[in-house]
Amino acid sequence: MDDRREDNVQLLAVKFPLHHVMKPISLVFCLACAAPVASLGAAPFEGAAVIANEGVPIDSLSASALKDIYTGKTTYWQNGQSVVIAVMAADDTDTALKSASGMGTSQFKTFWQRMVFSGRGQQPKKTDDAASLVALVASTKGAIALVPADAVLSRVKVLEVK
Amino acid sequence: MRPSSCGKTFSASVARAINPANPPRRMLKNEPTRRLISALLFALPAVFAVGRLDAADLNLLGPNGPTVDFHGFASQGYISSSAYNYLGNSSSGSFKFTEAGLNASFNPLPRTRIAAQGFTYDVGPAGDYDVVLDYAMAEYTFNDFIGIRAGRIRRPEGIYNDIQDVDLSRTWVLLPQGMYNARWRDFYVSVDGAELFGVIPLGGAGSLSYELYYGLQHPRLDGGLALQKANLPPFAKLAWFNSPQMGGEQLWWNTPLNGLRAGLALNYDRHLTFRTVTGVQSEGSPITQHYSLEYVHDSWTFQAEYLRFRINYENTVAGHLVSTKLIEPDSWYVSGAYRFNRWIEAGSYYSVYYADIHNRRGTGLQFPSDASQKDAALSLRFDVRDWWIFKVEGHHMRGTAQLLDNVDNPVRQDNGWWMIAVKTTFSF
Repeated sequence: MDDRREDNVQLLAVKFPLHHVMKPISLVFCLACAAPVASLGAAPFEGAAVIANEGVPIDSLSASALKDIYTGKTTYWQNGQSVVIAVMAADDTDTALKSASGMGTSQFKTFWQRMVFSGRGQQPKKTDDAASLVALVASTKGAIALVPADAVLSRVKVLEVK
Repeated sequence: MRPSSCGKTFSASVARAINPANPPRRMLKNEPTRRLISALLFALPAVFAVGRLDAADLNLLGPNGPTVDFHGFASQGYISSSAYNYLGNSSSGSFKFTEAGLNASFNPLPRTRIAAQGFTYDVGPAGDYDVVLDYAMAEYTFNDFIGIRAGRIRRPEGIYNDIQDVDLSRTWVLLPQGMYNARWRDFYVSVDGAELFGVIPLGGAGSLSYELYYGLQHPRLDGGLALQKANLPPFAKLAWFNSPQMGGEQLWWNTPLNGLRAGLALNYDRHLTFRTVTGVQSEGSPITQHYSLEYVHDSWTFQAEYLRFRINYENTVAGHLVSTKLIEPDSWYVSGAYRFNRWIEAGSYYSVYYADIHNRRGTGLQFPSDASQKDAALSLRFDVRDWWIFKVEGHHMRGTAQLLDNVDNPVRQDNGWWMIAVKTTFSF
């Protein structure tokens, strides 16, 4: 027991060569700060709506909060229910998905495969069309999805993106 | 321990110091067994994929219980090289490039998740289809800022360490091998311990994702070091490993520029120790620095990483110091990939690996080309179906630092050599 405590203390005492660390960090910091201000925030969701299971404890969310969900940074709703992302296999919501996640459809798919197979997340559930996507969201606790604006909605709530 | 090429350098240097003679190859399972295992590896994902069960959610815990998500993949590759044997008997063409995994996860309680994955692989002489518990952990997320997972966890380092054996996750067949060596996964992909994770908002400066972990590594004498053993003379074969403590962090600064993130990983192994059959014990406490930069913009993905490893090890016999040596390998690469559409992606990378930054020219080595290896790769990825991908990749190499299979590569020089890799993956 004492040995282990001593090990931990020594681990914390390791000195890294910080001068090697600071140079690349400074470079990246300058690069990122040079980014145009216009890149801040999310684009509007044209032709799509954000829907959620009726048990989801919110009625609206910010674009950045939506992005946190679609990029795996937020994985639970406030009530502790896990967030379940549902997507459609067809191309109808590609633009909206890109606005929500900042990634193209293929990049989004690869991103979540990485999360799943490293044990860090749950893969979005997939359906073939808007009707089955709405049905999936209605029947799945914690589910959220982007659907075409003209989709027929039933037993789901529409979340306002502010 | 940074096991990739660095770990190889560490133990290989011990072997060389003792005797550079060629060792016998490791005996593998017989061919019928291999074929049976391969067939089984592919059967499961194929059944799910063809049946279009994209996500297999089963109510194994009762109708009112949480659903259990199952996912899996199986990959088979082929490697052929114009010279040398790399990751198997590649100069004659090698199919010994197989990986498969099957995982399950569910949420038993609010904010709680249980996940586990079984994994098997066979890459050249490493793996040999042994099935291992890849990760098995319980996770509790307090909020977006902090969560904890414990058990056997995949170790974050750089862009790819925790998913380097998942072919689906990248454009390439082979990741830059100086940084992500396909033969060394048993050493560094996971640890038995715990980690804290979360995301800290930085306002207008983006956000900071972090993972802080600590645990025990579990190197196996019949695992990835099988390759290393193949380089050792019989009297210098490894007979024992400890389970070194390892701690580290991975930080990602998600910058305000959408798609740009920068990472820093620092790792420390405490007293990695192994002993040969003749009682020569080697011990070192390596430190790794790993810098990463990734930019995803529209259909483009750009990545660059630099890794530096440092170990000062001591060889002792019966408690008496016989030699010490400082080794500092480093490696870097830059890459770019473009997604044309849902089906086709193309990419290229250039990677450089030096076995020791204090001897980049290989002065004094039996084969000076062993000091470095430079790799220019060009890749094509085809997403044939949602559950089936196919890749083809060409490499032009200079240097032989990654070729320590002395029995297969008895003479090495710095002439350029070519390699082609093909790989297909099924998943669900």
